[in-house]
Amino acid sequence: MASCGHSSLLNAVSASLPSCPISASLPSCPTSISLPSSRRRRVVASLSTPFSSSSSSFETPQTPSKTTTHTPPNTTSKTPLKTASKTLHTLSKTIFTSSVAAALVLQLSQGDGTGDGGLFPGGSGGNGGGGGGGGGGGGDGGFFNFFSRFFCSRAIAKDEESPEWDSHGLPANIVVQLNKLSPFKRYKVSEILFFDLRRRTTVGTEDSFFEMVSLRPGAIYTKSQLQKELESLANCGMFEKVDLEGKTKPDGTIGVTISFTESTWQSADAFRCINVGLMPQSKPIEMDPDMTDREKMEYFRSQEKDYRRRIDRARDCLIPTPVRREVLQMLREQGKVSARLLQRIRDRVQKWYHDEGYACAQVVNFGNLNTREVVCEVVEGDITQLVVQFQDKLGNVCEGNTQLPVVWRELPRQLQKGHVFNIEAGKQALRNINSLALFSNIEVNPRQDEKNEGGIIVEIKLKELEQKTAEVSTEWSIVPGRQGRPTLASIHPGGTVSFEHRNIKGLNRSILGNVTSSNLLNPQDDLSFKLEYVHPYLDGVTNLRNRTFRASCFNSRKLSPVFTGGPGVDEVPAIWIDRVGFKANITECFTRQSKFAYGLVMEEITTRDETSSICTSGSRALPSGGLSMDGPPTTLSGTGVDRMAFLQANITRDNTKFVNGTIIGERNVFQLDQGLGIGSNFPFFNRHQLTLTRFIQLKNVEEAAGKPPPPVLVLHGHYGGCVGDLPSYDAFTLGGPYSVRGYNMGELGACRNILELAAELRIPVRNTHIYAFAEHGNDLGSSKDVKGNPTEFFRRVGHGSSYGAGVKLGLVRAEYAVDHNAGTGAVFFRFGERF
Amino acid sequence: MAAPPLREWTGIQQFPPATQTKLLDLLGKLKQENVSTMTILVMGKGGVGKSSTVNSILGERVAAVSAFQSEALRPIMCSRSRAGFTLNIIDTPGLVEGGYVNEYAMEIVKRFLLNRTIDVLLYVDRLDAYRVDNLDRQVIKAITDGFGKGIWRRGLVVLTHAQLSPPDGLSYEEFCSKRSEALLKVVRLGAKIKKKELQDSGIPVVLVENSGRCHTNDSGEKVLPNGTAWIPNLVMTITEVISNGSKPIVVDQKLIDGPNPNERGKFFIPLILAFQYFFVVKRIQRAIKEDIAREPKPLWELRDMGLANRYLSSPHWRGSSFRLLQR
Repeated sequence: MASCGHSSLLNAVSASLPSCPISASLPSCPTSISLPSSRRRRVVASLSTPFSSSSSSFETPQTPSKTTTHTPPNTTSKTPLKTASKTLHTLSKTIFTSSVAAALVLQLSQGDGTGDGGLFPGGSGGNGGGGGGGGGGGGDGGFFNFFSRFFCSRAIAKDEESPEWDSHGLPANIVVQLNKLSPFKRYKVSEILFFDLRRRTTVGTEDSFFEMVSLRPGAIYTKSQLQKELESLANCGMFEKVDLEGKTKPDGTIGVTISFTESTWQSADAFRCINVGLMPQSKPIEMDPDMTDREKMEYFRSQEKDYRRRIDRARDCLIPTPVRREVLQMLREQGKVSARLLQRIRDRVQKWYHDEGYACAQVVNFGNLNTREVVCEVVEGDITQLVVQFQDKLGNVCEGNTQLPVVWRELPRQLQKGHVFNIEAGKQALRNINSLALFSNIEVNPRQDEKNEGGIIVEIKLKELEQKTAEVSTEWSIVPGRQGRPTLASIHPGGTVSFEHRNIKGLNRSILGNVTSSNLLNPQDDLSFKLEYVHPYLDGVTNLRNRTFRASCFNSRKLSPVFTGGPGVDEVPAIWIDRVGFKANITECFTRQSKFAYGLVMEEITTRDETSSICTSGSRALPSGGLSMDGPPTTLSGTGVDRMAFLQANITRDNTKFVNGTIIGERNVFQLDQGLGIGSNFPFFNRHQLTLTRFIQLKNVEEAAGKPPPPVLVLHGHYGGCVGDLPSYDAFTLGGPYSVRGYNMGELGACRNILELAAELRIPVRNTHIYAFAEHGNDLGSSKDVKGNPTEFFRRVGHGSSYGAGVKLGLVRAEYAVDHNAGTGAVFFRFGERF
Repeated sequence: MAAPPLREWTGIQQFPPATQTKLLDLLGKLKQENVSTMTILVMGKGGVGKSSTVNSILGERVAAVSAFQSEALRPIMCSRSRAGFTLNIIDTPGLVEGGYVNEYAMEIVKRFLLNRTIDVLLYVDRLDAYRVDNLDRQVIKAITDGFGKGIWRRGLVVLTHAQLSPPDGLSYEEFCSKRSEALLKVVRLGAKIKKKELQDSGIPVVLVENSGRCHTNDSGEKVLPNGTAWIPNLVMTITEVISNGSKPIVVDQKLIDGPNPNERGKFFIPLILAFQYFFVVKRIQRAIKEDIAREPKPLWELRDMGLANRYLSSPHWRGSSFRLLQR
């Protein structure tokens, strides 16, 4: 049972985390902000009231010296002021009535886990003054310790399990004083009534006082428990006077009536909120009971001065003006400041903090009561320390391999010492660290700083992933065989061998490689491999500039869309483009999405026909059944093998964001390949592409989880061009799901300059969206500028439009697209997004 | 491809004397203009009578002709000399294959013609075909693409099978002019010749009848239904075309390859690159920087910076508070 307000709140945080995108995307690596594990007992020193009120129902105040063994971190064991002597004519009264500081002490303590801090929404404080703590100043000016109430009451409520109870054994419908009840009987309480002596009305269950009582109808209590309940109610400071009596019921149970008079103070018209988080606690000066009136006056005055000074020194709270205004409004409407009002103010203030993510913020005290200004003292949760710890598999703290600056640079500044802890900053730290992909478990814990009252230590606990991994997976492909029976595609297994060495030197450098073959026994037939080295923090791990160096060796094999027939052309013999090469680049990330990459590529391109033999030109089936081998040359050199080195740069500006799950914003990408004149036939070229995509939100919607996304208009333009040497495999192709929908890949042509325009309108429907689109692609008359004019050779048009509509079903898009050249439509199923 | 041996033009003697005289006359005129060699390129769709025309002109059977299939798969060049004058005629295979222009054949022709000069192009088609279609246009286009637009200044349209009886209601002249008009229109379209240019130098149309059943006139010359002796007429038209002031087409490697698009603009690449760097990459970089500056920060971050205090608000105020901050 979480009894401390803190912990209950953090519980809520960790509970809410699974819904945060990170952990969802990484199910194997649970991340959580967990709660502080150590619960400390915090006992609040209570203040004594030298002048106890006349109310008999209050316990006698205890001396301040009777505080605790533990140093109370969030205590307010100071002497909040007494307001008193503001004006002479009230002086005498003040001294008497407002006697001491009117301070509302919010106790953070708890007993041994018995209290239920969840009582106050937001868990403001599991307060438990413990039996010892609560001194209640009574009367008008008492200081005020009402929260301690909870703890006690819950403690009592704890033992109510006994199923049996005793009848009161009295005639029905008599009012019985508490002290007249038998100490040996266990009474079943069937009804609890609250009676406000001042208003002379019974208070409903919705009243804020009601929640302060732990008694519940239907439960069983002994006399001593009821007495304790009353005692704690009296101690809590909310009431000037409180009494409890029983009323016998015909069925042997009793009804309990709690009658009370609420504490009130002078009305106020100013409100102030101060952060007392890290302020040194002022030691109350012992008050000598033998003091003369004059000395007492002196004493109070000095206390008042201290408090003034304290307020002046304190930092202003983060509370914004609208909330302040709201509180002022509450003060103004109320007239007299009452305990209930303070409770409401506290709730309001704390609610704001918790809504805004200040999970450790608490209202600890109301000072300056009985003046025109109510001072709300808040411990906002100032961070005093940030600790990064590594844990081994068993959860023991160990030395990590990762260098700390790697983690530090991912932490938002708001988690550093001196800032107020905010759960959102914690979540961001979590996300950032998670994106390093170095840790299997990440926890961000705020916990009370024991040495520094009111401070928060942010602990980041990390479990590192295994540094080296290697993996072999094999597979047999099964294809439909004779009569549709599944058969093995080949007897040889295919598969992948991969290895990864992560986090080299603790600086997140890594080497990864994999080799895939469809025939592991004879892999030279069809082997694809990739070996990559990643070196982040090129400018040093402490430098804010985020540049990553990557070097990789790769190969790939792709079907060339350049050698594709137009409509009505029989199957065109396929040309495979094999690339083997080396690539080195530097990527600079400006934001999470915007980046600039530049580097060098050296590759060898081999063009092969279906039989895997090198071919030099495209071919076309002749009507006679033969092949005409006079098609466009496949390579620049004309030998079927090209080698070249070129520079590659890519800059992406992406400021898209998600609004209720749909993407809004704009994305611009410019890509450039600059030939260096190194390679076969000294290729010198400048091949450039500019892609502009706009996602325009058509309607303002409220942003919240579960709210429908807005309708979106997507506009897309793509221009590509090449000056200089252009081998066929680098020509731009028109047509295909990512070019002009409704056509096959390359069905419209292969060209030197390309222009594609597309518009799509997305309308949300239930959980998904439907869309309509129109697209056009044009070669700008540049097909003839590609050697061999593959567009014409394969009888393609060189331009085309399409339009259609579709619906998104999970990951799949189902769409009907009309090919404008032929005027016929077809249904397509595609994976992923077009833009 | 070795040049065929230069042979004496003996075939000319087979022509009736009247024709011989006329031909020698014309050749003499050409010699006067310092033209001692003439190369004639014969092109056209398959089966229109290109080879037969060549045979008819030379008066001997140089190209194999078959009624039902194309025999000529590669160009044939026949060179004949007579009185110091050399006549080269290049017969080419049909340019159409399977309903499309056969680029391959075109390629072979071009390669064959490498380093030769073409004085005259004979574009051969049939007179007795009633329609022209897209294919004609594509053939014309292929020729134009291959040798340039200038070749049509040296071109003439030859209509074979000229001995025909026109359909009912049309006179022979009418039919011929209609047919040639239609064909010329296609040539104009396919070669993208503007109307005005065409008027300057109209492409002449010549009628031809290669069949052995061709009527002859009194002097034994082959004549068309309109009474023209066609061989001298053809040669005369050719000489007229030669002397119309246009330049012969020299086929060199450059013409065969066409303009190399890979070379075009290479010179400007450094400039283009500089432009891209300064006006595209830099610009996008600047935009990204602006994005970063403008990025809406969550309230807690703003508050932390001490900025938000004045504007802070409950959650539903969020939007407006940012606007305030931006100002």
